[in-house]
Amino acid sequence: MYKTRFWTHCVALLAALILLAGGSTQAGEDQNASKEKERALIEVLRSASPAEKATACKQLAIHGSKEAVPELARLLADEQLASWARIALEAIPDPAADEALRNATHSLKGRLLIGAINSIGVRRDANAVDQLTGHLKDQDSEVASASAVALGRVGNAAATKTLRQSLAGAAGAVRTAVAEGCILCAERLIAEGKLSEAAEIYDEVRRTDVPRQKILEATRGAILARKSDGIPLLIEQLRSSDHGLFQIGLSTARELAGREVADALATELARTTPQRAALLLYALADRRESVVPPAVVEAAKSGPKEVRIAAIGFVGRLGDASSLSTLLAIATEADAELAQTAKTALAGLPGEKVNTEIVARLPGAEGKTLGVLIELVGQRRIDATVALVKAVDHPDAAIRSAALTALGATVGPKELSVLVSPVVAPKNPGDVEVAGRALRAACIRMPDREACAAELVAAMPRASVSTKSNLLEILGAMGGPKALETIGAAVKGSDAELQDTGSRLLGEWMTVDAAPVLLDLAKNPPSDKYQVRAMRGYIRLARQFSMSDRQRAEMCQNALEASNRIAEQKLVLAVLERYPNADTLKVAVKATEVPALKEDAARVTLAIIQKLGGKSADAQELLAKIGLDPVKVEIIKAEYGAGTTQRDVTEALQRYVRDLPLITLPSPSYNDSFGGDPAPGATKQLKVRYRINGKAGDASFAENAFIMLPMPK
Amino acid sequence: MSKKVMQVHRRRFLKTALSAGAAVMAPQIIPSSALGRDGAVAPSERIVLGGIGIGNRGTYDLGCFLDQRDVQFVAVCDVKAVRRNAVKKMVDQKYGNQNCGMYRDFRELLDRTDIDAVLIATGPNWHATAAINAAKAGKDMYCEKPCTKNIAQSLTLAETMRRTGRVFQAGTQRRSLPHFAFACELARTGKLGKLKTVYAHPAGMTATMSGWLAAEQEPPKDVVDWDMYLGPAAWRPFNAKLLDGFNFEKGGGLVGGGVLEWGSHCVDLCQWAVGADNTSPVEYNPPKDGRLVARYASGVELVIRETGWLPLGSCPVRFEGETGWVEAGDSGKLVLSSPELLAGRSVAEIDGYPATFHVRNFLDCVKSRSQPKANAEAACYAHIACHAANIAISLGRKLAYDPMKHEFIGDEQANRLRSEALREPWRL
Repeated sequence: MYKTRFWTHCVALLAALILLAGGSTQAGEDQNASKEKERALIEVLRSASPAEKATACKQLAIHGSKEAVPELARLLADEQLASWARIALEAIPDPAADEALRNATHSLKGRLLIGAINSIGVRRDANAVDQLTGHLKDQDSEVASASAVALGRVGNAAATKTLRQSLAGAAGAVRTAVAEGCILCAERLIAEGKLSEAAEIYDEVRRTDVPRQKILEATRGAILARKSDGIPLLIEQLRSSDHGLFQIGLSTARELAGREVADALATELARTTPQRAALLLYALADRRESVVPPAVVEAAKSGPKEVRIAAIGFVGRLGDASSLSTLLAIATEADAELAQTAKTALAGLPGEKVNTEIVARLPGAEGKTLGVLIELVGQRRIDATVALVKAVDHPDAAIRSAALTALGATVGPKELSVLVSPVVAPKNPGDVEVAGRALRAACIRMPDREACAAELVAAMPRASVSTKSNLLEILGAMGGPKALETIGAAVKGSDAELQDTGSRLLGEWMTVDAAPVLLDLAKNPPSDKYQVRAMRGYIRLARQFSMSDRQRAEMCQNALEASNRIAEQKLVLAVLERYPNADTLKVAVKATEVPALKEDAARVTLAIIQKLGGKSADAQELLAKIGLDPVKVEIIKAEYGAGTTQRDVTEALQRYVRDLPLITLPSPSYNDSFGGDPAPGATKQLKVRYRINGKAGDASFAENAFIMLPMPK
Repeated sequence: MSKKVMQVHRRRFLKTALSAGAAVMAPQIIPSSALGRDGAVAPSERIVLGGIGIGNRGTYDLGCFLDQRDVQFVAVCDVKAVRRNAVKKMVDQKYGNQNCGMYRDFRELLDRTDIDAVLIATGPNWHATAAINAAKAGKDMYCEKPCTKNIAQSLTLAETMRRTGRVFQAGTQRRSLPHFAFACELARTGKLGKLKTVYAHPAGMTATMSGWLAAEQEPPKDVVDWDMYLGPAAWRPFNAKLLDGFNFEKGGGLVGGGVLEWGSHCVDLCQWAVGADNTSPVEYNPPKDGRLVARYASGVELVIRETGWLPLGSCPVRFEGETGWVEAGDSGKLVLSSPELLAGRSVAEIDGYPATFHVRNFLDCVKSRSQPKANAEAACYAHIACHAANIAISLGRKLAYDPMKHEFIGDEQANRLRSEALREPWRL
C-alpha cells in the first residue's frame, strides 16, 4: 500500500515537473491542458519539497481553480510557504479562494494572519466585513491595522460604516490605518458620485488626531469632493502657516477644476508673501488657464524678484501679443537673471500675432531692444531676412552677432550667401566664429542638401586653409553625395590639415555610401597615418550599419584583403561573428588561410556554424576545410563562480552543446546566461568537466571568455 | 563615489547647462538671487534627503543629488552593512562631519520628521513598496526604475501619489535630456506627419526569474538583513546568489523581467512621443523574429526590437511618421529624416545619459509641487506597457488590453498575471 502511494506520488511529481519544465502557457492552450497542469501541480503541493511547492504555487496562480484551493489553504499556516500560497489564492477568481482566506483568519496569528487579511483586502471580499470588523479590535495592532486597510479596500457601505465608527476610538497606530481605510472609502464614494458623504468622511479624518500626512490627504479630498465649494478650504490651506498644508494646497490648486479657482488664486497673490506668491504663480501656470490675470502682469513688472521671475514665466506660457511690451521692457533691464527669464518667456510666447508685432518693431528699434528683437527673430524662426541682413553691417558687434545667429536659424537657400561671405571673406574678423556657427546651423537644416553643399564648395577656393577645414566640418555634418565627394577629394589632396579633418569626418560618416571612399583611402592613403583611420572607418560601417548579408560579407572580405595589420583584421572577424550567415561564414573560412589569423578565424567559423545551427548545409564541408570534424561533446559537470561560492550550471551548459568543441551561450555575459551573478564583485571562473568523442577533459574559462573546449589528449 | 567622479558630475552639469542655451531647460525654482554670496543655500531652504537602498546606481544618483546646493543628505538605509557604511563615509566626507544616520529598516528612516524626500535605489523588488510607504509617511521621492513589478503595482503607485499629494520622479532620466525630449516633441506635435510607428530597444526579451535556491548559512541581521532584503517577495531561504538586488525579482516573480529593464526607459520615451502618458497600447503580440509589436488605440504601432538600430549608442528609440522620422540614442545625437525638422533649433548633445538634469527637475518640483517629467502617472502607464508586453511573452499569445478598465479582454490567465501577492506583513 505504502509503495503504491509512493510511486503514485513520484509519477505525479514527475509529470508535474515535466509540465513545469515546459514553461508557461503556450498559445492556443485549451482548458483541458490547463486542468491537467493544475492536477499535476496539486500533486506537487501534496508531496514535493518546499522549493517545488513554491514553484507550483506560482504556476497555480495561472492554472489554479477551486480544485487547488484546499491544498493552497493548508499552506497558509506554513511560515515558509504561506506567501507563495497567497500568490495563487489572490489570483484564483473562484469564491472558494475568498472562503479559504476568510476561514484562515480564524486560526492564524501574527504575520500569517496579516498576510491573509491583506489578501482579503486585495480581493475586496465583501463577505469578509464581519471578520475584518472583529479583527479591528485585535490586540495585535498590526493585525488591527491590516484589517482597517482591508476594510477600506472593500469599501462597501458596511465597511465604510464600521471604519467611520471606529475612527475616533481606535488606539494610536490603528487609528492611522483606520484613517487610511476611511480615505479609501471616501475615494470610492467620489467615484460613485456621492460627494457629500465623501466630504463628510474627509472632514471626520481632518478632525481626528492622526499623523499629519493623513490630515493632508483628507484635506485634499475634502477640497476636491466639494468642487467649487471647496475654494474657501483651498484658500485656507494656502494661507496656513503649516508648510505641509500650504504644500497640499499648492498641489490641490492644480487639481481643482474651474475658472473661479484661478480667479481666487490670482486674488491671493497680493495677500501672501513673495516666496509663496511665486509658488502660487507656478501652480496657476500649471492650470493652463487661457487668460493672464492683470495681477500676474503687474507682478511681472515690479516687486520682489522671485515673484517677478515666476510671473514672467507665467506670462510667457499663457500670454499673447499684448504681453510683448511688458516682456520686452523686462528683457532689457539691467538685472541679467530677470532679463534672461523675460527673453525665454518671449521666445515661447504663443501666437502668430507676436511674430508680426516683432517684425513691425524692428525698424524703429535700437540698442538693447533691437538686440532682443533680433534674437527673437531667430529663436521664433520668423522670416525677416532683409532686416537681419541690414543688421549684419551694424556698428555694434553685439547686434551683428545676434543678426548672424538669427540668420543661421532663419535664412533660406537663396540667401545662404549672406552667411557664406562673413565666413570666407569677413569684413569684421571678430564675427567669423559666430558666422561659422550660424552657417553650420543653416546648412544642416537646408532642404536641398546638394545645392547647399555646392554653394559651400564653390566658396572654397576663396577661403583660407583653416576656413576650408571649417567648411569641411559643415559638409561632414550635412552628409550627402556632394559633401562626401568633396571631403574625399580633400583627403586625397596635398594639405595636411584638410587631410586630417577630412579623414576624421569620413571615419564618422553616418551612411554606408562612404564605404568605397574609405576603402580607396585605405588602399591608397596620402600617408600611412591615415591608412588605419580609413580602415577602421570602413570596418565601422560594416559593423554598425544595416545592409544586405552579401554586401557586409563583401566589405569584410575587402577589409581583410586591404588591411595589413592584425588588429584591424581581428576587428573584421568580430564583425563576421556578430552577423552569422552563409556569406560571412565563407569569409571566415577564407580567413583561416591567413596564418596569423588562423586560430581566431577558426574560432569565429565555429561560432558562426554553431549559431546557424542546421541552417548551414555545407557546415561539415567547411569544418573539414578548416581542419575540424564534427565531434561528440558531453558536459559532465560545470560550475560557475568564485572561491567556495559556485553555481552548478551543468544543465544550462548542456543545453548549448552542439557537435563542436565551441559552445556559444545566448548572451556574451556568463551572468546573463547562467541566471545571475553568483558572486557579485568577485573574479569568477567557469570550470567544465567534459568528454569529447569519449575522451575526458577539464578546462577553466575566465568570466565571459569564449568557451572553446580543448581536445583531450 | 570618489570625489573626482563627483567633480565630473558637477563640471558636466554646469558645462551642459551653459551650452544647452537654446535647448529647453527647466527653470530653477530658486533664483540665483536667493542664493548666498558663496552660492550656499540657507539651511531652511534646503531639501533634507534620505537614501533607501544605495548600491551602485544609487551611489551615482546620490552623487547627482549631492552636487545640488539646496540638498542636505542626512541618512541612509540599507539592509547590507557594507553599503550603509560606504554611503555614510561618502556623505560624511562631503559634509566634513559624522552626521549621516544609518538604518537597516527604512520605516525608521521614514519616521524622521526632518526628512523631506528620499532617494529609493533598492532593487526592483522593493521599489513600489518602498515608494508607497514613503508617500504614506509624507515623503517626496526619486525612485529608480523599474518602479513596479506588475500592472497592479503600477496603478497603486500612481493612485497613492495622487492621494498623498507627494512628488514622485521615476529614475527615467532620459526624459530630461534635450535630444530625447526633442525627438519626442517632434513625434508628439505632428512634425513627422501622422505618427505610424515608434520603436524601443528592450535590451533583451528573456524573462529572468529568481527562484528558491538551496539554503545557506544566513549572515547576522546587522550584516545582511535577509528578511528585509526579501521584503515583499515570497519567502525563500538565504542564498548568497540571490543577493544581487539589481536582478532579484526583477519585473515581478510571475513573468520575470522581459522587456522591463530598458523598456522602462525606451518604452517610456515612446509613450511620451505618442502622447500616451495617461494610457498604454491596447494590443500586444508575442515576439516574432526579434520584434514584439504592440498597438495603441490610435493605430500607432510600438515595436520593441533588438536590432536594426543606427549606431547612436545604447537605449535607442526611433519614431516614424508619414512624412519623416527621427532616431536618438545615448550618444546624445539625433538622426533626422530631413534637416528641416530642426527648424533652426539647436539641440544640446549630452552623451552618457547623466541624471543631473532629472534630479534638478525633481528638486524644483519638490519646491513648486508641480509634476516632474517622469511623474507617477507617466511612469505607471509606461510600466503597464512593459508588463503587458512581458505577459504576452510569457503566455506566448496575442493579448488585447483595455487601458480604461485595466483588464486583458477575454483572457483570464493574462488577467491573473496583473498582480502578485506581497509577502506578509507588506501591503501597498
